[in-house]
Amino acid sequence: MDTLPEIAATFKILLIGDSNVGKSSILLRFTDDHFLPPDEASATIGVDFKVKMLDLDDTRYKLTLWDTAGQERFRTLTSSYYRGAQGVILVYDVCSRESFDHLDEWFEELSTYCTKDEVVKMVIGNKIDKEAERAVSRKEGAEYARKHQTLFLECSAKTKIGVQQAMEELVSKIAESPTIRRSPGRNTVTVDESVSSGYGGCGC
Amino acid sequence: MASSNVRQSSFWKRTPAFTPSRVELVYSSTAHTDTAADLAPKAKQQPAAAPEPAAEPATEPEPRTADLNPLAAAGPPSPPVSSTLEDKFQALLSSPHVDLEQLKKLSWKGIPSRHRRTAWQLLMGYLPLNGSRRAATVARKRKEYADWTAQTFQRGEASLDRQVWHQIRIDVPRTRPDSPVIQHVRVQRSLERALYCWAVRHPASGYVQGINDLLTPFYCVFLGEAEVDSVSDQALAETEADAFWCLTRLLDGIQDNYTHAQPGIQRQVVKLRELVSRINRPLADHLSAEGIEFIQFAFRWINCLLMREVSLANTVRMWDTYLAEPDGFSTFHIYVCAAFLLRWAAELMQLDFQKAILFLQNPPTAAWTTQDIELLLAEAYMYKCLYHDSPSHYAATATRR
Repeated sequence: MDTLPEIAATFKILLIGDSNVGKSSILLRFTDDHFLPPDEASATIGVDFKVKMLDLDDTRYKLTLWDTAGQERFRTLTSSYYRGAQGVILVYDVCSRESFDHLDEWFEELSTYCTKDEVVKMVIGNKIDKEAERAVSRKEGAEYARKHQTLFLECSAKTKIGVQQAMEELVSKIAESPTIRRSPGRNTVTVDESVSSGYGGCGC
Repeated sequence: MASSNVRQSSFWKRTPAFTPSRVELVYSSTAHTDTAADLAPKAKQQPAAAPEPAAEPATEPEPRTADLNPLAAAGPPSPPVSSTLEDKFQALLSSPHVDLEQLKKLSWKGIPSRHRRTAWQLLMGYLPLNGSRRAATVARKRKEYADWTAQTFQRGEASLDRQVWHQIRIDVPRTRPDSPVIQHVRVQRSLERALYCWAVRHPASGYVQGINDLLTPFYCVFLGEAEVDSVSDQALAETEADAFWCLTRLLDGIQDNYTHAQPGIQRQVVKLRELVSRINRPLADHLSAEGIEFIQFAFRWINCLLMREVSLANTVRMWDTYLAEPDGFSTFHIYVCAAFLLRWAAELMQLDFQKAILFLQNPPTAAWTTQDIELLLAEAYMYKCLYHDSPSHYAATATRR
């Protein structure tokens, strides 16, 4: 149990995006600094949960990370996890034009389930280690993010590039955002009473 | 991820033979009260109010079978299969008309690996019970499938439903990474075809992630101990057809797990929660107090029939029993899920939200043997006997409270 330094805040962060863009790999790199080759990683079913402490400028944050399955059929389930999130990461694969084009659908999904001002959004283009197969330019990704007023970064879960940086940027943006409702920074997870009914209602 | 549990060159080598165990005790017991009594002797009294006295054994699991059976921890090589069991299967399966009830009764306790292929295909309803009709039926089914795939794939990938094919293509390589059989390139191509054919024939659900997992036990059982490299194209094609039809049968019973909004899973999660709160109220209360929702961990248990939680060899053993149970993959599976959760009750009571979720996401089953699975099945059977078709227990308790 991490007791020192004291946790300043707990943030709930959600990863969404098409199947096979590398959401789970980005998380695994961030939380465990590990990467599984494609043939050793199983597709996420439903939603997986991870926890990670992040120290930024002498302040410790606890991140509860929810890694959702990308396939459309799981939307009914995954949509219930948006509630109470302070950060949402939309992931696409820079080698898959389709996964980039689908960001529109993911933004729509996001606006349906999250209140606009209460969540920091970040677009991440993953798999930049496969430069030869790139189908979406960095410029296009940045342009898209600007249009939607979100943070933007490219990364590679495989080579590590950009992963830690993405998380740090997201968290510092959440931390400085005045409109975001914070959970008290205790070690225990606080359950938002207003959302305690129905599944996925944990406001961690 | 639990799927990294076991890496074996030939998964069934780990499948120990049937050992007469508590399962036999449970199965041969007909009266529900007797079953509970048989299984209850070591149960501790739970101070907290349980719905009924008979439910209490659940809160204190029996000692692990590994303790009772020193062979359990030995791992491979397997002990020799009981010859009487082999003989019984041999006699039963070679009779002109297989007695299905008898086959179910025998299979519940575990099928010897050399009879499993035939037994599963009979239990699935793919093979006719009447031996004289079997060859013709199988030939017809295999031809039907072969014609269908030829027709589907003759115009190349461009003619396929792009979205379905894409999803299958990205999922097959990451199906059962721990199994060299499933990871073999020939089997991979075969899985893609079978999954695609199933998906386009069942547009109400289509291909949903997890269905790929459900297809794999059929390949492992039907291919037997053969090295994939030495399997002829024709034999692999036949395996594919048999697996396709068996998958179809399996999913016929649980298709609403995979249709829009997955109502089957939603319903079963509710059932599981109700069941667990009847069996072990303190655990249910603890989970609830921590803000843990059953859907957060049980969704995957139902979507993939616990295949992400236990090894492929253990899954195969589970399916022997599931195939012998009425609605094994739906109704009985919920009792297995309950037994699975309750097995960790003592640990879970000590864990807060985050630790409990992490624990349930990756339960420590890596070393599980057939004996662990058989104990799990026996416990599930006990819960079924106690709680199935007895909603009045719940209603009465609810009213009293």
